[in-house]
Amino acid sequence: MTWLTWRQFRVQAFTAAAALAAFAVLLAATGPHLASLYAASGIRGCQPASCGHLASNFLQQLYAAGTYWVLYLLGVVIILLAAAVIGLFWGAPLIARELETGTSALAWNQSITRTRWLAVKLTLTGLAAMAVTEGLSLMQAWWAAPIGRAVGHGGGGTNLAMGRFSSLVFATHGITPLGYAAFAFALGVTAGALIRRTVPAMAVTLAIFAAVQIAMPLWIRPSLFPAEHTVIPVSSLQQISLQQGGFNDSSFNLGTENLPGQPGAWLLSSGAVNAAGQATSTTPAACTARSMRNGNPGFLDCLASHDIREAVSYQPASRYWAFEWTETAIYLALALALTGSCFWRLTRRLT
Amino acid sequence: MIEFHLDGRSGVAPYMQLIHQVRQALRLGLLRVGDQLPKVKDVAAGLAINPNTVLKAYRELEYEGLAAARPGIGTFVTGTLDGGSLAAHGPLRRDLQRWLAKARRAGLDEESIEALFVSTFRSAGEEEIA
Amino acid sequence: MTAVIETGGLGKRYRRLWALADCTLSVPAGHVVGLVGPNGAGKTTLLGLATGMLAPTAGTIEVLGGRPGAGPAQLARVGYLAQDAPVYAGLPVADHLKLGAHLNPGWDAELARARIKRLDLDPGQKAGALSGGQRAQLALTLAVAKRPELLILDEPVASLDPLARREFLQYLMESVGEQSLSVVLSSHLVADLERVCDYLIVLVGSRVQVAGPVEELLATHHLLSGPRRDPGSLPDGMRVISASHTDVQSTLLVRTSGPVLDPAWMVSGVGLEDLVLAYMSQAAGRGRRNHLEVQR
Repeated sequence: MTWLTWRQFRVQAFTAAAALAAFAVLLAATGPHLASLYAASGIRGCQPASCGHLASNFLQQLYAAGTYWVLYLLGVVIILLAAAVIGLFWGAPLIARELETGTSALAWNQSITRTRWLAVKLTLTGLAAMAVTEGLSLMQAWWAAPIGRAVGHGGGGTNLAMGRFSSLVFATHGITPLGYAAFAFALGVTAGALIRRTVPAMAVTLAIFAAVQIAMPLWIRPSLFPAEHTVIPVSSLQQISLQQGGFNDSSFNLGTENLPGQPGAWLLSSGAVNAAGQATSTTPAACTARSMRNGNPGFLDCLASHDIREAVSYQPASRYWAFEWTETAIYLALALALTGSCFWRLTRRLT
Repeated sequence: MIEFHLDGRSGVAPYMQLIHQVRQALRLGLLRVGDQLPKVKDVAAGLAINPNTVLKAYRELEYEGLAAARPGIGTFVTGTLDGGSLAAHGPLRRDLQRWLAKARRAGLDEESIEALFVSTFRSAGEEEIA
Repeated sequence: MTAVIETGGLGKRYRRLWALADCTLSVPAGHVVGLVGPNGAGKTTLLGLATGMLAPTAGTIEVLGGRPGAGPAQLARVGYLAQDAPVYAGLPVADHLKLGAHLNPGWDAELARARIKRLDLDPGQKAGALSGGQRAQLALTLAVAKRPELLILDEPVASLDPLARREFLQYLMESVGEQSLSVVLSSHLVADLERVCDYLIVLVGSRVQVAGPVEELLATHHLLSGPRRDPGSLPDGMRVISASHTDVQSTLLVRTSGPVLDPAWMVSGVGLEDLVLAYMSQAAGRGRRNHLEVQR
């Protein structure tokens, strides 16, 4: 059965190997140069006071160069798509194609049970799926390590400066790609077993996988652990986003991208609160008369003098791996449940 | 070794056709005592018929004393059909000559005699089977 | 003689329709069994139940004394050739043999190799490029080389040209002779089965109409023709399968175990095809009266 699984999987295996090789070549060609740029940036061994400034310079320089930003995005996109492609092209046809072409009658009347047939196929192909996706992720992580370190030192001010918790980075680094691949694959196989035709199964797999991958970062991931809340003085804010509007600047929206004292934290929400702790967006009368513009310390001082502070809810950086493990566990549990349903459906004999 | 053929449209059961062909071969001298009949599986494969059909024919021949099966080796001819010793049937021959004379005296020509003989022969054979 | 297939009240229902109902058979070993009936009669369903591909809705089925499809040992004893001889189009012939070798402990590699050579098949050619007859022969080689006790074939020659059909049946009979296989093959044409089958099951309208050794069936079915008579007036031991009447004459196809003694009848034998057709039309007539129709 191992031989048969390999024989039927050969083409897909070679395609995946070629893709991995091409990806590796691309990264290997540019990775060392990126590393040397990082070495030249002086971030390593920097003084705490100047680290953030050096890191931001490095990242902005990279972004301006163009190619590194493109390659970074390309890598991220490839990893995100890998799980979907695997679900569609490795998972959906596994059972569906055998049923469609009638070869299931050939395969399931040899001297092995359907259980064994499915077990070997699922295990070998599933492991390959996880290995390929995780392999892509690890290669990307190796290549982008300097960027990650720069962000960790407080670098910012550019699109390239995505924190570990940002949707794109979280989904493509760590062990989450492994979970996505397992889930997408199991989803494809199950869809194929239920729908019994390859192309419709691929469509359904894509639709459901996309829906889950959108729902996870938007609604599920933030609530995996209860958020921490804190209220800080507006004066201590860095990386402010301030919008003023309404008639005569009568309303404002104060947000922030990072939390001082909590480097690498995942900010879920931030907003101004008044002395009683309630959210507020009405500009105090005294502050609107100023002709100051966004970010002017004067406006913030004015707010502060009216006892307006910033409330932030966040997930601390220390929880990063807890999130990684929990999310991966969820996807693996889903994959296991789907796999179980496949076995049940296949071995209770088809109608 | 003789070769069998089947006439699918003759209405005669396949196993009977095989028996007839063996008997015919014996009469014509194509098969002699000690010759091996074709193997069951070869006949079945050659004609695309059930091996049991061949087995049945061979068993019938065994019952008639014309063949005997040697397990593991094959089926061999053990008997003959005395189609050649017409001398042993002297009385029958004289009866036939007397009948032929009668038929000529009744005015039948050669073709009519033959037709009368064949139709009577055939219907007598059918009555035997039925 | 032991039974290769033993069923008791076997039935299979899809939603509201019974594809097979009330099927009670005891198919003896050492025969080539023909399963004949029109399309949609339930032949594929019965064969699917015998291989374990389907589960019964009602009744029981035992194949070679075991539950169909239950475990590798049972699967090894039964060979199956599905309709249209499915093979892996992208896999070459040699890889199909490897498939058989890897997945069957009882695989006879020499038999398979010799067969492929005699068929003049190119081992390196992809199975998808083979002709219909060659595919059927390849699939048959795969089924036979695993040395089963029972071989089940679903309409194996339906889509083959006459030469391919003949060659397929030749190979099948050779294998039966060599390995003392029991065979069950289905067809909707009696002509395909006449030469090779010595046991017949007629399946019409999801029900078994008649089953038994061909010799016995031919000996107990007679065509009676004589003066016009009501079929109900015949003696009890005689079962009328089909009847047709003109104003003066009746022609009846009857089944009886004893001789036909009434001198008014002219009795003649019945060919297998006419026998099957009579059962098919009888069932169709009954079906029309009961508004039963099996849909495919």
